[in-house]
Amino acid sequence: MSATNCLRCLGRPSVAGASRGVVVPVFAPRTAPFSTTAIQNALPAKGKSGEHQDRSVRVYRAGRKMTFKKKHTGDRGKPPAPGERKAFRKKIVLSNDNALPVPWVTEMEASSLSNENKVGTIVSLPPAVQDQLRATEAFQPTQTWGLFRKPSTLIRKETVELVGKMEKATANKQTARVVLTGEKISGKSTMLIQAQSYAYLNNWIVIHFPDAQELTNGSTEYAPVPNTENPTLYMQQNYCLKLLQSIKKANEKILAKLLTVSNHSELPQNIPVNQTLLSLINAAKEAEGAWSVFQALWSELNAHGANRPPILLSMDNLPHIMKISEYRSASFDKIHSHDLSLVKLFTEALSGNTRFPSGGAVIAATNRNNGPRIPSMELALKQRLAEQRASQEETVPVRDPYFKGYDDRVEKVLKSVEVMEVNRIGKREARSLMEYWAASGLLRTTVDEQTVSEKWTLGGGGVLGEMERAALLTMKI
Amino acid sequence: MPPRLNLASAFRALSLRSTTPAAGPGISQPLLSQKLAAPVARRFYSDNLTPNSNNESSSSSQIASSPGQLPPSSSSSSSKEVGEQQQQQQQRHNEDNLDALSRLEMVAYGLNPFNARKEGHKYGLPSLPLPSELHKDHRYDDVMGQITRLLMKDGKLSKAQRDMAMILNYLRTSPAPKTNPARPLIPGSPAPHFLPLDPVTYLRVAIDSVAPLVKIRGFRGLAGGGRNLEVPAPLAARQRRRTAFMWILDAVQKRKSKGSGRKMFPTRVAEEIVAVVEGRSTVWDKRAQVHKLGTATRANLMNSQIKNFL
Repeated sequence: MSATNCLRCLGRPSVAGASRGVVVPVFAPRTAPFSTTAIQNALPAKGKSGEHQDRSVRVYRAGRKMTFKKKHTGDRGKPPAPGERKAFRKKIVLSNDNALPVPWVTEMEASSLSNENKVGTIVSLPPAVQDQLRATEAFQPTQTWGLFRKPSTLIRKETVELVGKMEKATANKQTARVVLTGEKISGKSTMLIQAQSYAYLNNWIVIHFPDAQELTNGSTEYAPVPNTENPTLYMQQNYCLKLLQSIKKANEKILAKLLTVSNHSELPQNIPVNQTLLSLINAAKEAEGAWSVFQALWSELNAHGANRPPILLSMDNLPHIMKISEYRSASFDKIHSHDLSLVKLFTEALSGNTRFPSGGAVIAATNRNNGPRIPSMELALKQRLAEQRASQEETVPVRDPYFKGYDDRVEKVLKSVEVMEVNRIGKREARSLMEYWAASGLLRTTVDEQTVSEKWTLGGGGVLGEMERAALLTMKI
Repeated sequence: MPPRLNLASAFRALSLRSTTPAAGPGISQPLLSQKLAAPVARRFYSDNLTPNSNNESSSSSQIASSPGQLPPSSSSSSSKEVGEQQQQQQQRHNEDNLDALSRLEMVAYGLNPFNARKEGHKYGLPSLPLPSELHKDHRYDDVMGQITRLLMKDGKLSKAQRDMAMILNYLRTSPAPKTNPARPLIPGSPAPHFLPLDPVTYLRVAIDSVAPLVKIRGFRGLAGGGRNLEVPAPLAARQRRRTAFMWILDAVQKRKSKGSGRKMFPTRVAEEIVAVVEGRSTVWDKRAQVHKLGTATRANLMNSQIKNFL
């Protein structure tokens, strides 16, 4: 990721090093790549010399110098291949053959998530939807899908509310713009999964950003978008390519039916009118040109009068795009996250500046565990909540006049969103969930009022993830 | 010293009526022992305002509905009924008062006037003796409690417990083990296909199956020429499990780490436990070696000098 020379050296080619007359190889090991000290001044690091090979440890114990011989740990064989360790960490298992099938769990249908009578029931995800959700990386390794026979979810009060909003918006060709907030492990990401499942079952186009921090934490390549000034926008081509591939995998059936309405000659591969959008995505074979393909796809999806399906744009871990990113501009200034073009696309949709032709939804979920604290975002969400309640006693909170850390751009984006709190579940929902656990053979107690009450209380008064921890991730089985 | 009489509570407990009693109850005071034995079902901090029978409530409502009128010009029978009812009511009041008085008496004798079994508990009291899992120190299975502490590093028990929970979840999501007839599991263990359904038993079976029966004690210099005299010594159940699990942890140390994150260590331990049950683990060899040495050295138990130590 880092350049082989530091930025200062780029400006002034290394004359200083050459004048010293010391021949230093360019691949000399360096410890601090961002150091502004001329690297040529440092002597090359010593290799492992004889004195380091005797494997002894010297310590001072009770004032005396002691030497211990280190145990030879032996050869462990080949180390894991690159990416293997991360793959283990991110591995998603969706079924457990030892768990018993639960007879009353039905498969999710297009209308089941918006049905108020189904609140408190468990539905399983259809296999096709599972594949689509896998493609968008909606499942997370910390969730407990791997314990049950089939991946299933509880239909909560909030689920019906959220899906109802999506339904209502598309009926009026509007866009529902919702931010999900709530406590740690209260089920915000699962709500996103449910929203996506609804969208897949109702033939929407789904574009999902599984983790916003990948966009802003400086882990993908970036470059300025040509011909953008004030502010300069930045594109992330590698991420874009990955996103395009996930969009293609998840929405293959619908994209194969949609046709382009305009000519795209600027792409690496010329796409004329009346080609499928799938072939448009296929034009992005490499990271180079991925951003232009994505732009073309986005303009095609938002083409008016082309009878496009509704769009669901969703993002997990929202606070990460509401801060200054880890990227730097050419003049070494910090880049605001909203100047990254992909993030800008999302924030424009979230703030309501982009209108989808057939309506749809923009849903973002905050995170409390790994998320940075964004005072402006927190304030804006509180304000929206207070406005939604619209009660006489409660006043809309205002900025603290003595605090400097507010960000106008963030507050502008969240000016008119709906905020939904993903709260604790009630005892009725908890009971239905625990009956499902027990029927799967994972909770080995009778489910009566006392057990439900016990786990509900242990789970922080119905925080769903905490209840799972108390009942499923426990030594007492 | 006589116990102090609490007069305040005594007055609170007495129920007072403005109406004059129609007739004396004519009931002799019951003995204290009788009163103690009588079940105390109600609390008497206040008057009992809820009518007990339909009969009574209907009559009282009749009276209440016609406050201005005189009592109805009654036939002799109806007035008799009303009189009886009043008498009954009065009797109940007197009983209540007697109850309160008996409690006062109990206070005077230094006894607790309330029966804890019957009063003051929303959900009742649990039956005694308490099952061991309700005690905070014994809430887990004995093997689980022991080996979780063996997993613990740097005194972080909570992390060890989480690791243990992950081990159990690995065991219950992995397929049923294929046992090796050459490495028989401990007698009485359930069939292999039941094990994943009960991960605690899975773990217990694995540990108990490889637990050694003896350890080898060395007595310095007793073998002659400064050599150790090796003697087998029996182990208690807890010691056997400890030895077995430490061997398993040694084997886990030697396993290659294939991944990263908090699930890696529990996964390695769980894989080793599956390997033990399937007879693939090197821990079985260690056990066989110890047992072999124990058999070989048992003759040393007859050493005359040893006898002084044992």
